[in-house]
Amino acid sequence: MNPLQVLTSFTFRYMLLYVLVLSAAVFLVMALLYGAFSYSYFGDLQGSISDELQTIEVIYTGQGLNGVEQYIDDQRIQEEGLRFHYLLVDDNYEKMAGTLDYWPEYREFGDGWVSFGLDTTELVFASQDLEFLARTVDLSPEYHVLAALRYSDVLGDIRLVLATLVRTTLATLVLGVLGGYFAAAYTLRRIDEVNSGIDDIVHGDLSQRIPAGDAVGNMRVLIENFNQMLDQMQSLMHGVRTVSDNIAHDLRTPLTRMRNNLSILQHAGEGDPERVQELIDECDSILATFNALLRIAQLEVGNRAPKLESLALHELVEDVVELYEPLAQDKDIELYKELNEVQIEGDRDLLFQMMVNLVDNAVKYTPEGGKISVWAGPATQGGSHLEVCDSGPGIPRADRKNVFRRFFRLEASRGEQPGSGLGLSLINAVVNAHHGKIMLLSNNPGLKVKVSLP
Amino acid sequence: MNILLVEDDHSVGEFIETSLGRIGWTVRWLMDGAEGLEAAFGGDYDVIISDRMLPGMDGLSLVQELRNRGDQTPVLVLSALGEVDDRVVGLQAGADDYLAKPFSFAELQARLEVLARRRNAEPAVATTLVVADLSMDLLSQTVQRGEQLISLQPREYKLLEFLMRNAEQLVTRDMLLEGVWGYNFDPQTNVIDVHISRLRQKIDKSFEQQLLRTVRGSGYILGVDITDS
Repeated sequence: MNPLQVLTSFTFRYMLLYVLVLSAAVFLVMALLYGAFSYSYFGDLQGSISDELQTIEVIYTGQGLNGVEQYIDDQRIQEEGLRFHYLLVDDNYEKMAGTLDYWPEYREFGDGWVSFGLDTTELVFASQDLEFLARTVDLSPEYHVLAALRYSDVLGDIRLVLATLVRTTLATLVLGVLGGYFAAAYTLRRIDEVNSGIDDIVHGDLSQRIPAGDAVGNMRVLIENFNQMLDQMQSLMHGVRTVSDNIAHDLRTPLTRMRNNLSILQHAGEGDPERVQELIDECDSILATFNALLRIAQLEVGNRAPKLESLALHELVEDVVELYEPLAQDKDIELYKELNEVQIEGDRDLLFQMMVNLVDNAVKYTPEGGKISVWAGPATQGGSHLEVCDSGPGIPRADRKNVFRRFFRLEASRGEQPGSGLGLSLINAVVNAHHGKIMLLSNNPGLKVKVSLP
Repeated sequence: MNILLVEDDHSVGEFIETSLGRIGWTVRWLMDGAEGLEAAFGGDYDVIISDRMLPGMDGLSLVQELRNRGDQTPVLVLSALGEVDDRVVGLQAGADDYLAKPFSFAELQARLEVLARRRNAEPAVATTLVVADLSMDLLSQTVQRGEQLISLQPREYKLLEFLMRNAEQLVTRDMLLEGVWGYNFDPQTNVIDVHISRLRQKIDKSFEQQLLRTVRGSGYILGVDITDS
């Protein structure tokens, strides 16, 4: 299956959107969680630091600078609980006591809050950049104290969790897209199967059904319903066909009898020979219309499948052009042809008839001194391509759909040209029976008929 | 002319029997396929006409059985409307010609004459076809009228050859389409007439005796018009 087809399919796009929205939602939730967690963590941290500094201030008030120095030194020995780092400095920010050796470069957040990083080899005996949250307090105009707590450990954990979550989200995204692709490909394949089934049936073989295969669920119900619809349609068509066959039979028999009797009269030399001949001609034309109608019906209903054989289309077209050359010359019409070798699978008689109808129409509608071009050859995308262009009046855009309808005749040509209005219907039926396509275009001026056959 | 007709449709059978009777042909008319087969063996007929759908034995089986037993009497198979495309099947079964109903009497007569003539013709391979002072040399592919050489287009040559091979008898448009163009189709217009008139220009125009005549509503005859002289 064409990947592009899958990627642009509705199912895939829907799945993609779903996965994206889901991932975004998951990511948003995680970001909120992270925010809430770090907010509460730093809140706790700040609380501890503030408490510690309050303690130091109380000690300073009660015992003076020595008390503070003593306290800080005591804390240095303690290993339990939160490991505070302290620094007591004088007016010139020279160290007086504490676990830190110098007043660090820090980022200030206001209200005495700062944060800084230190290469604290001497503190933990390992070369490691540590992050601290700290607060400074002025004990007096001369003395400043700083209490700091490490937070990088915890933060590292949070970051790790965050990174894991991001990776998980990405994995979800990738797996979701992949899953979406396969789900879409599967759906598309099923739909394609159903579609090609419908295509075959639409092109004539009403007896065919869409195979349900291993389809399950809604798809199976859809196929079953569609097949049921076809059953009904077929029985209806059968009814119509039976009726029209009966009408055909009922009309054909008296018509033939009439024609035969006229023929006997003619041979016996009875009646006005001119009138008898006129009546015979009339019968023949009715019977011919009848024949054409039945042929179209047979092709459309799929009763008469084209007898496919390998044939040289350019030779067939050449034969038709040659057949019409004298007629064109009589009307002083230039019949130009450009034929390239192309082999196709087709029904010889049907295609010849189609071509005859096309060229016949062109000759009929092209005024004297006009030009008709016939082109046949291999199509660029495979199969074959036919074109018949004339310099006649063409067909107005609005009527182009209708001209394939049986007995439809353009207002302008009514009465002017002989014809039953079945020519294009038959052409269309032959093209459809070959699974081809026909297009009516303007030749500026005139009509350009394009036929492509597989 | 002695004809065996196997046809179960009364209207068609009566029409054929009456019409052929009028032109002096003898028709034996049977309605059953199996009876028809026996009659074909028992008698000596110029042509057998058989419908496709028959009680007893269908038309194609009849032909096949006849051929299997070595009987080469020409058979014209009739088919109902809409079975035109079974023509090939009919010819493969051993039938000599195939005609779809409804047909005109002229069409039937023309085809029967061709079949009967083929049966009675000398098996020798002719190298020259002659109709009055018109002659066609099949080896050098040249056509002459009197002393005058006539140059023809390839299709005109084929058309004339077909007409000369069936000289002095009616050749219908359908026969020309099948025999000269090789397609089974319905010409929309007078396209065949134009080809005929082209040919007539070349072989008849500068001569007093007209050889190629149009039979209105039926077809053409190449030959000397007896009523003319």
